[in-house]
Amino acid sequence: MRADLYTAPFLFLLGAAFTYGGWTMDRLEIRQIHPASIPGLVPMLLGVALAVAAIVLFVQARTRPVAETAPEGTKDSAPGSLRDLATAAVLCCIYALGLVGNIPFGVATAFFIACFVIAFEADPAKGRAHLIKVAVIAIALGILVATAMSILFRYAFLVRLP
Amino acid sequence: MIETFVQLGNAFAALTTWEMLFHAAWATLLGIAVGSLPGLTATMGVALLTTLTYSLPTNAAILVLICMYVGAIYGGSRSAILLNIPGTPASAATTLDGFPLAKQGRAAYAMSVATTGSTLGTLVGIVLLIALAPALSELALRFGSFEYFWLAVFGVIISGQLTGGSAPIKGYIAGILGLMVAMIGSEGIHAHVRFNFGFSDLNGGIGLIPAMVGAFGFAEVLMVMWQPKADMVKSTREKGSGLPRFKEAWKYRVTVLRSGVIGTFVGLIPGVGEDIGAWASYAAAKRASKEKDTYGKGSIEGLTAAETGNSAVVPGALIPALTLAVPGSAPAAVLIAALFIHGIRPGPMIMIEQPDFIYSVAVMLFLATVAIFVFGISLAPVFEVVLRIPRERLMPVVFALCVIGPFALTQRLFDVWVMVVFGILGFFMRRFGYPMAPLVLGIILGDLLDKNLRRGLTLSDGDISPFFTRPLCMIFVALIAFTILAGIPFVRKNTSGIARSLMRAGKDAR
Repeated sequence: MRADLYTAPFLFLLGAAFTYGGWTMDRLEIRQIHPASIPGLVPMLLGVALAVAAIVLFVQARTRPVAETAPEGTKDSAPGSLRDLATAAVLCCIYALGLVGNIPFGVATAFFIACFVIAFEADPAKGRAHLIKVAVIAIALGILVATAMSILFRYAFLVRLP
Repeated sequence: MIETFVQLGNAFAALTTWEMLFHAAWATLLGIAVGSLPGLTATMGVALLTTLTYSLPTNAAILVLICMYVGAIYGGSRSAILLNIPGTPASAATTLDGFPLAKQGRAAYAMSVATTGSTLGTLVGIVLLIALAPALSELALRFGSFEYFWLAVFGVIISGQLTGGSAPIKGYIAGILGLMVAMIGSEGIHAHVRFNFGFSDLNGGIGLIPAMVGAFGFAEVLMVMWQPKADMVKSTREKGSGLPRFKEAWKYRVTVLRSGVIGTFVGLIPGVGEDIGAWASYAAAKRASKEKDTYGKGSIEGLTAAETGNSAVVPGALIPALTLAVPGSAPAAVLIAALFIHGIRPGPMIMIEQPDFIYSVAVMLFLATVAIFVFGISLAPVFEVVLRIPRERLMPVVFALCVIGPFALTQRLFDVWVMVVFGILGFFMRRFGYPMAPLVLGIILGDLLDKNLRRGLTLSDGDISPFFTRPLCMIFVALIAFTILAGIPFVRKNTSGIARSLMRAGKDAR
């Protein structure tokens, strides 16, 4: 996989950073612990292991053909839509990181679900009637799911909703 | 022997109340629906449902989660047959023969073969669970820090090797990344906080449930929205086609038994999972079959092998999860977290502290099996309707559950952020061909590895030789070395060449 040529250096740096973090970690001498039980020991070893694995990955990516390096079942059968992916990711992140916690959960959820459905189902080329139908379905679904979820978690599971 | 039956009888009596049967029914039904929808996996279903079972009594909560697990693994066969898209990765092998059968207008027949196969596979797994779990638990009592360290290393290595396909290095990397995630937060020996980067929220470490919901939930939402839509095959209702396929099961009884045993033993291997169980069973059935040429074109035997194999992994994966606290699959990892939440401590002491629990789990699996059989045969058309729900309406609901689920666990928004981060990480890892199972296993086993390495070194006063000289350690070291060497193409090529020469020499000598 061509991407391995770029991910391998990143993984190597992560491994090196982890090793450094483990090496410079407090060795708790003040508590007179056994030197073999210092908290940084395993992070150091893991950092080294990741760095070595990154080198192997880089070498393999350079020497092996593309098809051989992708594990079975992870190869994509058909290319996807980047626009759909970006839309979904942005909407989800706005909901989870921006709306939840800042406005009541029920309102945030209803708003998110309605926007998501409209963003993916509404097609302006199909006319005004289609847009109104999609908007009504989206808003109804949003309100229904948000209400059901809020009631379930608030009253059945006694969760103080964000 | 008699004691086993007495305990099974007691567990059966305790779990067959109306309330428990109701829980088994709705959870299995939900599981089948979750599994049949592409993008909703068994791991995600179990993780989300864990957050909904806090208020239930322990036995009811575990029953619900096990029914979800069994139901989702079985449910994956629906979309595999009708859409040619496995509902869960476990059903990938089912598509090979299930979809061609559907295209021949025999979708309902294929689904009933899958139902019978899944039912029998789980039953074989349950028998092996009852037989093997107490013995493994007894063996695990001999484990000390040295052995536990190697068990953790072995788990990550074998999981990386088997799920990494032709690039085991990516499996190893995913495992190491999981172990690194487990290093965040307060460590288990001196309570020293590591890698919190000044955020007090990280002092307790990264929660398994938010990480799993992100890696399997949010990442799946992104994956589903990114991939093109699938077209469903028109299912024709042949007369009597939805009836149980016992005749076929009897005809292929050897395949059923073989696939059940293979599936269970694949489940025993840490962090490998149902997909590998199905592929291994399918390959073994094809190799031994008299009708090899029908495989991939709608073979009933192939479909039976794949479905029996993946379903048998479920009880198999629970064996190490219960007796060693090492999950045999990703959903079993979530189940371990749920067991801790409900006050059950999986591990070698389980047969001493709660000796009846393993038998309760066996009965729970049995109830789930009965439920998939009944629902699979009677509600086939309903699940076809479920498959028609547009992804644009389903995915935002799933994501809203991904947000509220982890929040409900600790009531802090930090876990929602963890879920988002792991979702994005999971998506990119999948895109670049890194398997997720070793990552999850790494997060679970990180603490075990860390504590037992340092505890072992403290016990031996810094001497590493006990890690290599104790009998069980030597076995683990040999297994790890063999696994790593088997993943190196150069070694694999040469050793298979030597094996072939030896076999030829043996034949000549005869």
